[in-house]
Amino acid sequence: MAQATRTSVMRRQSTRTRLLAGTAVGLAALIFAGSMATVFGVVSLTSQVAGITTVTLLGVLLIGLGLAVIGFGVGSATGYMDSTPRESSGIVAGVAFSGIWFVVGGLIGSQTLGIGTIGWVVSGLLLGSGAFVLTVLPREDIGSTVPAGIFAAFAGLILLSGVIGPAWVWTPKGLRASFRGELMVPVITLFASLITGWAAAKAYGGFGARGRHMGAYALIYLNAIAIISVLFVLVGLTFYRGLPRLLEGITIGLGVGPGTTISLFGVSVTLALPIQWPFAMKGVALTNTLNGVLPAVVGTVWLVVGAVLFAVPLGVGAAIFLSEYAEQGRFTRAVDIATNGLWSTPSIVFGLFGYAFLIPRFGGEKSLISGMLTLGFMLLPLVLITSREAIIAVPREYRDASAALGVSKWETIRSVVLPAALPGVVTGVILGVGRIAGETAPILLTMAGGTFIPGSQTVNVIGGFEFTASPPFVANPELLDATSALPYQLYALITAGVGGGGLIEGTNSFQWATALLLLIVVLSFYAIGIGMRYYFRSKLQS
Amino acid sequence: MMTIPSTLDPDSLRSAGMQYVRSSRRFIDEATPSELATVLLSSLSLIAAFIGFLLVSSWTVVPFAVFLIATGYGWAKHQGLMARALTLSMTISTLVILGLIIVFIFLRAWPALQYGSAEVFGLNVPGLRMFIQTRWNAAADPIRYSMLPMIHGTVMVTIIATLVAGPLGVAAALFLSEIAPGVVRETVKPAVEILAGIPSIVYGFIGFTVLSPWASDQFDLVGQGTYLFVGIVVGLMALPTVVSVAEDALTSIPESMKSGSLALGTTDWQTMTSITLPAAFSGVSAAVLLGVGRAIGETMAATVMLRNNPTIPDPIFNVFYGYETLTSLVAANYGEATGIQMNALFVAGVILFITVLFISIGSQLIEARMEQKLGGVE
Repeated sequence: MAQATRTSVMRRQSTRTRLLAGTAVGLAALIFAGSMATVFGVVSLTSQVAGITTVTLLGVLLIGLGLAVIGFGVGSATGYMDSTPRESSGIVAGVAFSGIWFVVGGLIGSQTLGIGTIGWVVSGLLLGSGAFVLTVLPREDIGSTVPAGIFAAFAGLILLSGVIGPAWVWTPKGLRASFRGELMVPVITLFASLITGWAAAKAYGGFGARGRHMGAYALIYLNAIAIISVLFVLVGLTFYRGLPRLLEGITIGLGVGPGTTISLFGVSVTLALPIQWPFAMKGVALTNTLNGVLPAVVGTVWLVVGAVLFAVPLGVGAAIFLSEYAEQGRFTRAVDIATNGLWSTPSIVFGLFGYAFLIPRFGGEKSLISGMLTLGFMLLPLVLITSREAIIAVPREYRDASAALGVSKWETIRSVVLPAALPGVVTGVILGVGRIAGETAPILLTMAGGTFIPGSQTVNVIGGFEFTASPPFVANPELLDATSALPYQLYALITAGVGGGGLIEGTNSFQWATALLLLIVVLSFYAIGIGMRYYFRSKLQS
Repeated sequence: MMTIPSTLDPDSLRSAGMQYVRSSRRFIDEATPSELATVLLSSLSLIAAFIGFLLVSSWTVVPFAVFLIATGYGWAKHQGLMARALTLSMTISTLVILGLIIVFIFLRAWPALQYGSAEVFGLNVPGLRMFIQTRWNAAADPIRYSMLPMIHGTVMVTIIATLVAGPLGVAAALFLSEIAPGVVRETVKPAVEILAGIPSIVYGFIGFTVLSPWASDQFDLVGQGTYLFVGIVVGLMALPTVVSVAEDALTSIPESMKSGSLALGTTDWQTMTSITLPAAFSGVSAAVLLGVGRAIGETMAATVMLRNNPTIPDPIFNVFYGYETLTSLVAANYGEATGIQMNALFVAGVILFITVLFISIGSQLIEARMEQKLGGVE
């Protein structure tokens, strides 16, 4: 309740210390960003910034930050700074700090002093337990700042003194790996900036409940930013490396694209697309100036079509039965467990199952239809779960109103429940398709063969149907042939290695372009699905 | 809301059985002979087609055609009944598919288990030798198919992936459900979903072309492929699962509990750590468990980034050398494997399937418990 009676004088004083603490948080963020830049090689440790090397600058900044953080703790403990600390920093902080200091102690013991295995364990335990006591026993303001501040200042000293510098290398015995200063220096500064940033954020909130709130929020926001940046880096890198080759050779004009000849009443007309996109519209051939992945594109399309034709009726039908007809009991419970079990079954197990179950039943060779059904099995639980959620979400009143009009149960489902649930079902199907379109492992064992496929081997499912005299009377050799798909194509390109048998010009750019095309195909399914969900949700709310 | 009977005592079971018998008798009494005949013909022909398919008969097409015709006739004449029968058979098919998966991968794994049997106290235990020796060699005598190197690899990758996906995922779920303002949430949430949408082979490709060479260079490794970086990449891939399931658990905590705490003057963070997280604890741990399941089953990134050579690294915790996981074993060896070796790959599949199925059932039980608990609180 002391906070409620704060006077304006105290508030002014706290504004100044808060400003200082805020600056410290900013400095920690700056060091964090700088360390990241050095990890990724954007900035070199030995390059000069304003006359001093980066590593010296980082060391000086760390010492300053560490001293500042200790200052906050001492200032609060001596009453100079306005704060509301608790009795202790808590066990969690204690364990974290003791872990960090155990590593420091162990390294000092084994590397600086060279006192053997038992020695470094003892020195690690000494420092670790010391840090634990220093964190947990004193009041929160000392406990959560001093161990962090000392660590940062110590790390800064090590960098300044050159004990660990850019040229430093440590090769632990038996590990067949070495740690280089180039990487370890930024890793150390990353750690130091994280814990000092947390401590400074606590000081900013004046310790206590508000301080913890601040410290935790700083870390959680950082985590969210990190996840988003990983996404941007991944997608951006793929675009950057893959886009030039993907778009190479695109020409637009009348009749430049691949064409089909249609013969009707003795008149044959050749229709051709007004665009030629070599990467997506050509196969691999010696005569091509630019090779492409047409068979894989067409294979992916047919895979998705087949899986959807198999899984969507089955999944939606089962969802209708479970949510409209079935009484909740052992049967629905068993189906629930089976659905969730199918959902979490690893994709490679689906591949093994397709190999053992489907291939012997479809001609004994890898085939397009085995791939379609295997992916259909994978898609089924996704469709079932999302459709069921969508059907359950339809308000009870809709059904009651329809039943009150004397409409039969099935009529109600068909004309009231399903239309209302349709957006949810479609969204679920699209997201599910996005997921299976990128799957490699199931089709690896059931469908795919060949790395570089000529354009002439592109599947033509519709034209492949034929009738036979012996059972099963209908045959489609196109469905029974092995073919390729984009994710498999990428895998085959990776395993084929650089050079790729000499058939492909610039294998590396070809790989990146394939990865980009796959990414675009899959992410556009996701974009459409997510966009639809937002659209229907906003329509529902308005 | 679904109501799940929490107790399965014999009395309720018997009454459920009686009810089932009664309802089916009522159905037979009420249905006209034509309806009955159509549904019977359609379901019998479907079963016949299924059996024909199982027996690899080329005559499967005949009962299937009968099924189509009977169903089409029934759909035109008695749509309501047919719809009910059809949707029931579709529901049963999910159970059948899971059953088929279990039967077929076990059948194919059996010869390898027999080959790898060992004696314990005079008792011949099939498959035991695959778990007490560490040698995997399909080319040179003695030919042995030990699963231990792969189990070790899967455990290493899963531990590292969980260390990445667990804390980061739960923190991100807290951010999304409790902290982020509306606009930020609406941008971060789709981003997390898109992260889940990037195909695993693309992750693997970037790992293989960018991360692995960088790691080999930085740490002076012999060759490419480390459990450390495979674990980090797999952790990134498991992250969205953890985030979305944990977020669901956190948002399912009734608002009244949170506002009750806030009304006592606590900060948001205090409410999260002392009310929301403890109440959602079982849901959050189910999320992490599902993330672990994803990490165990991840195939392509591991296959592309690892060395594909079944060995246990030296020393055993050496994360800088990555050899093989259960998933990558299958993906890397299916091509040239024949005979017992192919069966041994199915053993890896069986281990994966059982582990992940148990994880899935475990997380469902945890979630069901949480639902019950919250239902009691409300």
